Amino acid sequence: MSDLPLDGVRVVDLSWIIAGPTATRFMAAMGAEVIKVGSGRRPDPSTRGPAFQAYNQSKLYCALNISSPEGLELVKQLIAVSDVVIENFAVGVIDRLGLSYEAASAARPDIIMVSSSGTGHFGPHKDYVAYGSLLQHYTGWNSISGNPGGEPVPGGLWADPWVGMELAMVTAAALNNRALTGQGQYIDFSMAEALTAGIPGAILDYQMNHRVPEPMGNRDARYAPHGVYHCVGADRWVAIAVTNDEEWQSLCAVIQRPDLAVDPRFDNADGRRKHQEKLDAAITQWTSLLEDHEATRRLQETGVPSGPSLDICRVFNESQLREVGYINQIQTRDGELRELPGLPWRFEGGEEPIFTEAPILGQHNEYVYQELLGLSEHETNRLVEEQIIY
Amino acid sequence: MVAGLLPGVRILDVGQGISAPYCAKILAQMGAEVIKVEPLEGDEARRMGPFPSDSPHPEKSGLFLAMNANKYGVSLDLASPDGAEAFKGLAAGADIVVENPPPGSLEAHGLGYETLKTINPGLIFTSVTPFGNRGPYKYFKATDLVLYHMSGHAHGLLGAVENPDSNPPIRAGGHQAELVGGMAAATATLMALYRKRITGKGCRIDISSFEAMVNQLISGLANCAYGRPAPPRDARKVEEAAAAGMVSAIGGILPCNDGYVAISPREDVQWERWLGVMDNPAWATEERYSTRDARQKNSPALWKLLSEWSSNYSKHEIARWGQEQRIPCFPVNTVLDLFNDDQLAHREFFVEIEHPAAGALKYPGAAYKFSNTGLPLAARPAPLLGEHNESILEKLE
Repeated sequence: MSDLPLDGVRVVDLSWIIAGPTATRFMAAMGAEVIKVGSGRRPDPSTRGPAFQAYNQSKLYCALNISSPEGLELVKQLIAVSDVVIENFAVGVIDRLGLSYEAASAARPDIIMVSSSGTGHFGPHKDYVAYGSLLQHYTGWNSISGNPGGEPVPGGLWADPWVGMELAMVTAAALNNRALTGQGQYIDFSMAEALTAGIPGAILDYQMNHRVPEPMGNRDARYAPHGVYHCVGADRWVAIAVTNDEEWQSLCAVIQRPDLAVDPRFDNADGRRKHQEKLDAAITQWTSLLEDHEATRRLQETGVPSGPSLDICRVFNESQLREVGYINQIQTRDGELRELPGLPWRFEGGEEPIFTEAPILGQHNEYVYQELLGLSEHETNRLVEEQIIY
Repeated sequence: MVAGLLPGVRILDVGQGISAPYCAKILAQMGAEVIKVEPLEGDEARRMGPFPSDSPHPEKSGLFLAMNANKYGVSLDLASPDGAEAFKGLAAGADIVVENPPPGSLEAHGLGYETLKTINPGLIFTSVTPFGNRGPYKYFKATDLVLYHMSGHAHGLLGAVENPDSNPPIRAGGHQAELVGGMAAATATLMALYRKRITGKGCRIDISSFEAMVNQLISGLANCAYGRPAPPRDARKVEEAAAAGMVSAIGGILPCNDGYVAISPREDVQWERWLGVMDNPAWATEERYSTRDARQKNSPALWKLLSEWSSNYSKHEIARWGQEQRIPCFPVNTVLDLFNDDQLAHREFFVEIEHPAAGALKYPGAAYKFSNTGLPLAARPAPLLGEHNESILEKLE
């Protein structure tokens, strides 16, 4: 018996690619028994390469041909002894497989079934083929990101990981309700709506002022100075955000510009915003002689919000992530000790989350089919021969 | 009255700005009773805007209204003995307290977790701060801009550029780092609440918005763990990387006569169908565009040809033609388009709430629908400052 929040919760994970596996990774690390059910014929793209070690940590992995009648029967038996089933196939696929909510709840009446798709499971465009990067454009999310007047930005990787966390959140909400009422749920999740929900300011600005908000680069509608400033080295920058007059005074002191500190034009944010190009030049004079972490250290010492603009490998090496234990060492099957990501929260005084290496397809067949579902070894072997279990 | 998923759960939202209030907003729309506790001068989000006609007004800030709909509101001076007493009274009857102060400031008023748990041992106490209550950056000050840049996201947002030293990394609009911190807080808090239902145990949860942002890029971190380099920002290096087979997805935006369309016909079958949408142009049979690898290598020239075609049509036309052929393809929308979108309208995504000062406005609703339980998404507007002082605080006596 562990002290982790999702101890005793079993999840049948039919999801693939990024969003679904991200959700079940959170659950697995927090104590749920996550059983990833995979197909040998249509392998999950997230099971390739290093990313697999991120998306599928701490899970069990069994192989099953669920499009065969016996395979379908087995997955229903598995659902019957589970609490949650999660999938993110294109709309309609799960029904065609014979695993609609109706079928799942027949196997287990209080099952919580989470279904995520690009635009949701009903509506005129429910069948639209979607990738996360394209949904960022469709939902207006990218419309407020970019340089003013520039082309729309590609947008980086946002939709799938954002949805992944939200799927874990809605599952936890449904588990709470089931604990209270004994009732399960079918959850229809729209990735597009999750992204649109992430730009409330722009949506309200449009209604209040009849204007379509434009991207502002690193600038802010309210604060100034607000941007990134070149430091020593190629493509090295420090981000600085002055959010009040006190921080402005501190900034002037750090960059040794007492003249700016007493200039009445810069007394308040409105004035500083009006003259921000001039102020940006003055700040760059100072930052361009410093290494980005050193500039950050000096700014933070006097209370100016700031930090280096890092690429992912420099993030990976940040002392903060290492000293707080966000990065964990895990022995992987290639015999190496790998430094892999953890969770963004700590339950103080609680048990440590579970981090084990990502499994390979079929690794937990014996546990799932024999121990959990009670099949004999003989029966399992027959199913393997008939390619129902891979 | 719609009950939601969390009937009887009471939450105190002591947060300001976005991160902690967003966590409490999510819990409110799941059906918890959320009491927002503001200082006498009000939550700083009341000063953030957007405002009607750009005129600041504490009851008309768009971000405040969006983050605090469906909550009750009281105002308290936590530094005064009476205020602190009232807060303790509220905390005694709460399941969850959510805060996002600089490290230790609620503790400075004698109202930290250690104090509150003596009054309410089962309390769940969630703190959201830029770097958490831990590590060398514990006392660093950070904003959305700083967190977006420090966590590696800014380097990916813009894609490759011709000269990285004159075209710096930029942040995404809309306070994404704050929102992710709030979403992480809601996720962890709901997991803790589930444990509390089973075991009766409360706990303190420490959320780092920095780690929540970094955690959005776990595939990139895993690549680093296997010694792979970061994707380059320099366009010349991207071409080398493409030649070495490192970039795998064909996709991007095309200019239209009214904006842009985003397409990604990356699989061979999708590409075949895409050519059909374009009426099978003659250049498509050329060797340099005939395979996925070839298209990848020659993508700048290819994109030019695609753009010449797309500029003749509207973004909605092209998106419709593409989707009819099952090609991943969407219009590049602005917020204006969202209000005209059939799918969002059909799913009743936006919820209208009437506010006594700001009037009727449409807010983004929830991205999820629960088959067996309705959600109270429009139960009440964001509270006026101190609106429920009388009804809530006087009940404590």
